[in-house]
Amino acid sequence: MKKVRIISCMLLLLLAALAWVEGYKPPTPLKFIVPRNWPKPKYDFAKNPLTQEGFLLGRKLFYDLRLSVDSTVSCGSCHQQFAAFSTYEHNLSHGVNSSLTTRNAPALQNLAWQSNFMWDGGIPHLDLQPLMPLTAANEMGETLGGVIRKLQQDASYPKLFTAAFGSPLINTQRMTKALSQYMLMLVSSNSKYDRVMRGEDSFALPEQLGYNIFKQKCSTCHKEPFFTDGSYRNTGLPVDNTLNDYGRMNSTGDHKDSLKFKVPSLRNVAVTFPYGHDGRFFSLMNVFDHYRRDMVVAATTDTLLLRRMPLSNYEIGQLTAFLNTLTDTIFLKNSMLAPEGKLESVPFQHLH
Amino acid sequence: MVIDHAEKTMDTINKNLFLFWLLMSLALLPVAGFIMHPTRRVTIRFRHKIGAREMQLFNETYTNPFGEPITITRFKYYISHLSINEKELSSKTFLINEADSSSKTLVFTTGITSPQTLSFVIGVDSLLNVSGVQTGALDPLNGLFWTWNSGYIFARMEGKSDSSHAPAHSVNWDVGGFRSPYNASRKIQLTIPTDIIKAADPVIVIDADLLKWFNAKHTITIAQSPLCHQPGKLAMQLADNYSTMFTVAQ
Repeated sequence: MKKVRIISCMLLLLLAALAWVEGYKPPTPLKFIVPRNWPKPKYDFAKNPLTQEGFLLGRKLFYDLRLSVDSTVSCGSCHQQFAAFSTYEHNLSHGVNSSLTTRNAPALQNLAWQSNFMWDGGIPHLDLQPLMPLTAANEMGETLGGVIRKLQQDASYPKLFTAAFGSPLINTQRMTKALSQYMLMLVSSNSKYDRVMRGEDSFALPEQLGYNIFKQKCSTCHKEPFFTDGSYRNTGLPVDNTLNDYGRMNSTGDHKDSLKFKVPSLRNVAVTFPYGHDGRFFSLMNVFDHYRRDMVVAATTDTLLLRRMPLSNYEIGQLTAFLNTLTDTIFLKNSMLAPEGKLESVPFQHLH
Repeated sequence: MVIDHAEKTMDTINKNLFLFWLLMSLALLPVAGFIMHPTRRVTIRFRHKIGAREMQLFNETYTNPFGEPITITRFKYYISHLSINEKELSSKTFLINEADSSSKTLVFTTGITSPQTLSFVIGVDSLLNVSGVQTGALDPLNGLFWTWNSGYIFARMEGKSDSSHAPAHSVNWDVGGFRSPYNASRKIQLTIPTDIIKAADPVIVIDADLLKWFNAKHTITIAQSPLCHQPGKLAMQLADNYSTMFTVAQ
């Protein structure tokens, strides 16, 4: 028995020595905090435990222009922090070689509670999501093989992968897991609305009136606390004949899903304009006018909207006041989420 | 005191002897298992054919049952649940690629002594389509993956044909889909001839006739359907067709 103990001690020492020679430290766990009263996340953290090293690697990848074919576009190019990780002021976001995508880049926030991605829900896992923009000809235009090769040949990435995953192996799975670790930390839960819900603040009168109207007219689809119920609905946007985007039907092949798109979250809505899957609405007023006047009611239009949605000017005013309480400046300015060594600056100061 | 010491020594020797035999018998257990259930090596080799001839990528132009010419540039597919007598040889998914000859031979060891049926699925389990990014043969980097409406492409036949009106006269048939009602995975069941069963280390050669893609349960012409890039009706029909392409060579 003594021998066994001696041998295992020696083995441990040998491993420790090897680790010391290699300079390997196990990664430091990173705690994912679920905001009070929020449900359990849908992402399976057991399969991809968050670590500081994994998060930092993911952040570097997210902002690395070299992930695109000609080193001009990173994930962060179209997902800008000051716009809640949507594309500021662009209806359709841009890709490599002056190409244009066919959709408005959605905000990235609270992704741990989301199980399907894209406006049509065609991607069933957060780890799978980056594969699409990386390889689409009108986004980053690379091949997965090309991306992995660049990372393998880089001087710093093998070390960062070792720090995060214990060995310098770089493959698609590890890359996307690191990206997920960064994206999972994009949690927006500190807006004025959140503070009011936590009892730390109170609404001004127009905000409170707007919240009451919101709960009456909007919150079935834009459900709290995420301000989306994650469903796909046709809200009466007629198809654009240059984009020919039929939404959910592209993914399911079912005619009943024609023109249905994911209900977007309204968190940080004041900074995520333009609105709609193709960014056709440039302001909240455009959206309100759409619901009360311009909607095209057709076969697959949502049953809640068959008679459009009457909204008075008064209601629009109060709703706008409430929607502005969903802006989370702590999230928009969190330097941990910005590229390394760069503090995120907001290009506008007085949105409220 | 001396006696006491001797007793103790005897005791230690006995204990050690006991331990020795215990460890020896433990060490020999797997050997005993081996003697009782001899393992055999089973080799499964895939051969891709056009009718009776072995196919070649790029260099030859073939004619399909409808007189349409085609030069094949890529041919690959995923197989999973590879089983003999309904017992799985491996839980892995394999990528069989005409361009990579090593991918076409699979070797297993099995305790099964009388293989009679061989079965496998062309496709990738639905769970693996929705559980994040996989590694090895299933790494999306291998190209058999739809990224926008995500899921694995189960089989790809790609080529050029003068009968195709698609850009660059392409024939691109990517078949996949794991969601109902367009689940394109297909189970293949084959009977293994007796002389192969009797061999000490059986080699099972499976022929795949690509002409079946065009004409089996459904009639699919290049002129009408040169492109298949998503799950749906055409993918289902192609899957029905190619599920009949396998036979065990005699």
